[in-house]
Amino acid sequence: MSVRIAPEPVVVDELITETAGRLFGELCTHEAVQAAEDSGGAPDIWEAFCETGFDLIAVPEEAGGSGGTLAEAIEVLRLVGYHSAPIPAAENGILGGWLLAQAGLERPDGLVTVVPPRAADGGWSGGETCSVSLNGDGTAVLSGEAHRVPWARSAETVVCVCEFDGTSTVVSVPASECTITPLPNMAGEPRDTVSFDGATGRAAPAPHGVDADALAQRGALSRVALMAGAIEKMCQLTVSYTNERVQFGRPVARFQAVQQHLVWAAQDAALVRMAAEVAAREATRGDAPFEIAAAKLVANQAAARATKACHQAHGAMGMTQEYPLHHFSRRLWSWRKEYGSDAHWSAVLGQMATGVGADGLYPLITSGTAALA
Amino acid sequence: MLTADGIRAALDGLLERRTDQTRLTSMGAGSDDLDDGRAYLAATVEGGWHVPTWPSAHGGRDASVAENQLIGSVLREYVVPDLYPFAIGLGMVGPALLAHGTAEQQERWLRPIASGAEIWCQMFSEPEAGSDLANVALSAERDGDVWRLGGQKTWTSRAMWSKWAICLARTDPEQPKHKGLTMFVIAMDAHGVDVRPLRQMNNDAHFSEVFVDDAVVSDAWRVGDVGEGWRVAMTILSHERAGAGSRGGGDGAKRGSRVPTWIADLAALGALDDPVGSHTVRRDEAMSIYAADMASRWTAQRAADEARSGGSPGPAGSGAKLRTVSSYKRRAFLANRAAGAAGMLEDGHGYIETVTAPSMSIRGGTDEIQRNILGERVLGLPGEPRLDRDVPWRESRKGLL
Ligand SMILES: Cc1cc2nc3c(=O)[nH]c(=O)nc-3n(C[C@H](O)[C@H](O)[C@H](O)COP(=O)(O)OP(=O)(O)OC[C@H]3O[C@@H](n4cnc5c(N)ncnc54)[C@H](O)[C@@H]3O)c2cc1C
Repeated sequence: MSVRIAPEPVVVDELITETAGRLFGELCTHEAVQAAEDSGGAPDIWEAFCETGFDLIAVPEEAGGSGGTLAEAIEVLRLVGYHSAPIPAAENGILGGWLLAQAGLERPDGLVTVVPPRAADGGWSGGETCSVSLNGDGTAVLSGEAHRVPWARSAETVVCVCEFDGTSTVVSVPASECTITPLPNMAGEPRDTVSFDGATGRAAPAPHGVDADALAQRGALSRVALMAGAIEKMCQLTVSYTNERVQFGRPVARFQAVQQHLVWAAQDAALVRMAAEVAAREATRGDAPFEIAAAKLVANQAAARATKACHQAHGAMGMTQEYPLHHFSRRLWSWRKEYGSDAHWSAVLGQMATGVGADGLYPLITSGTAALA
Repeated sequence: MLTADGIRAALDGLLERRTDQTRLTSMGAGSDDLDDGRAYLAATVEGGWHVPTWPSAHGGRDASVAENQLIGSVLREYVVPDLYPFAIGLGMVGPALLAHGTAEQQERWLRPIASGAEIWCQMFSEPEAGSDLANVALSAERDGDVWRLGGQKTWTSRAMWSKWAICLARTDPEQPKHKGLTMFVIAMDAHGVDVRPLRQMNNDAHFSEVFVDDAVVSDAWRVGDVGEGWRVAMTILSHERAGAGSRGGGDGAKRGSRVPTWIADLAALGALDDPVGSHTVRRDEAMSIYAADMASRWTAQRAADEARSGGSPGPAGSGAKLRTVSSYKRRAFLANRAAGAAGMLEDGHGYIETVTAPSMSIRGGTDEIQRNILGERVLGLPGEPRLDRDVPWRESRKGLL
């Protein structure tokens, strides 16, 4: 008989939630978020964020980070989404900071961004045409073009994962070596084209388990956290608006047709938050490909439903720039396409399910990644 | 007798034929162009081709329902631009003037609508009167031969391009809310009319707040009797719902081709390539939308023809609007999805449609309101209790009965 030992609980320090929540609550006003969209960045918000040390949370202290767990970093990202904070928190910390630390590459000063990796189906890669060549002295030359690189225009360093001679390699190049064409996503967040054309940087082989797939998972987890926060806030906005908005002599929230929208949105908010927490907890303990794939799929689908419900319940007010609903809905429409679409993660989950066979399906559902071993 | 070839012979000299490359905007999304629509209307007004059922004296050609249908189907072979800027005049005010207007009003306003010379807007919604349209507060008080109007409208699309507005006003606050309303035409350049555009989340600034401060309107510009404003408004709204996008812009096919441009674009993206792989879902969805579109086009055409031949489309228009809206939203979503990750960008395929789509089920009356209308008027289901029906508006406006 085997004895199952309960895993260590993963706890997020409440102080983190409180401090980050307060910071964003003060800085990320509707006007500040709109201004960041118009100018392509919010350096003052980023600076205040860095002062708290949250920019490098979950990056080990030996590698110049602030320490803390992945689950804590994910909680901060949830709050970034909740407040639509216009900052590259995911890229700089748990994606870029993680890659550099894993490969033992030095972390230069200033903002780090990451090229989204190539997906198995090639469908959502940022760097589909990039290639790297290594010199003997640890320098690397990159060529090609990477698309939809978050906040590249404000970054000092661009990091990517490339295959070289069958080995996964982390490459870090100064942004000044690249040509960057600014492009906005649907929410006006920078998703720039980076053209390398012989850009020279540093390279190091990545340790086992750090490769394009692992980056894809971590990236997906970061998006799930952002989406969980955004859906939650969108849902709260909708509940308060419909309780205040009076038509036909009563708040519109009293109409059952409107209540149904509110219920959809509330269910989706709860669902995605739970998916984000479970995936973050498992990823903090070890590998979590199943939980992350499931969470991103759930978040993508919930985003489609919840944005529809919240917009419908708001009427024309939600269509205007002066009312904040669109900060959340447009971000959700963009994030659902980033680090893997519904089709991508459905296929990944499908492969896992068929891989374990009929007898393995139920254990996969109840135990997740642990059942894949 | 009017034949398809006869119509083509007349139109060939005036308009370009559609080709595989023809792409047009829909409902003005992402476009501020007035010129294409104006040139098209100016070219077709002599023959009365765009509003065939209108009297020939006013820009139409006295066409029968059957002729109108034939002309409509031939027009689809030509480049008919997105007529969004002109839609209120062509689709709503025109028919309302034909139903409720005086001979003098028809004479003054119809032809410049048909020729594209004058743009109209619809001043119905107010901050406190959205779905509850009968709650409008903008007041009109009689002063001899004129009326003095004061109050605020909002979400007024096209106001900044408009020469005229059709404006629903409260003439008797002592009557219950549906009864004390009257419809007026107001000149947008009149003293006391102030238009302040609002930016939308798709970045268009196509609707505005309109502030009206003691603007003077001649009694000759009243449409319908005093106190009959709600009836006129219902005529206008049923035309709006039935006609949503019925002619011009968006899709259409070149002659002999049955494939609408949105499907051709999906195919060009490769989204329909693989019948069994991960793209199957998209092929299935595309064909399901296409089938629903064909069914609703015929139904909408029937409703629109009833409307143009003088009758009001009534609740059929609500059904048509629900279907048109659902199709627009599904197509937007599918197109954007087919673009993959590149669809997240502001210049991505399906971007403007995706950020415009949520407004479709709100403007012209929300989906919920259309379903209420169908439930009550077609199925005869009991309505929500209405506590404000028989109370003077001055009382009911205080809200929370
Ligand atoms: C792009 C755009 C263009 C527009 N252009 C014009 C224009 O040119 N002229 C003009 O006059 N107006 C225009 N409008 C306004 C439009 O007519 C209103 O937005 C619409 O009637 C809904 O009103 P509202 O926005 O105040 O929503 P609300 O009435 O506040 O509705 C909020 C929510 O409550 C629901 N609800 C309300 N009442 C009920 C009920 N009885 N039963 C069930 N659910 C209910 C609604 O369906 C919606 O989901 C435009 C709107 C948009 C978005």
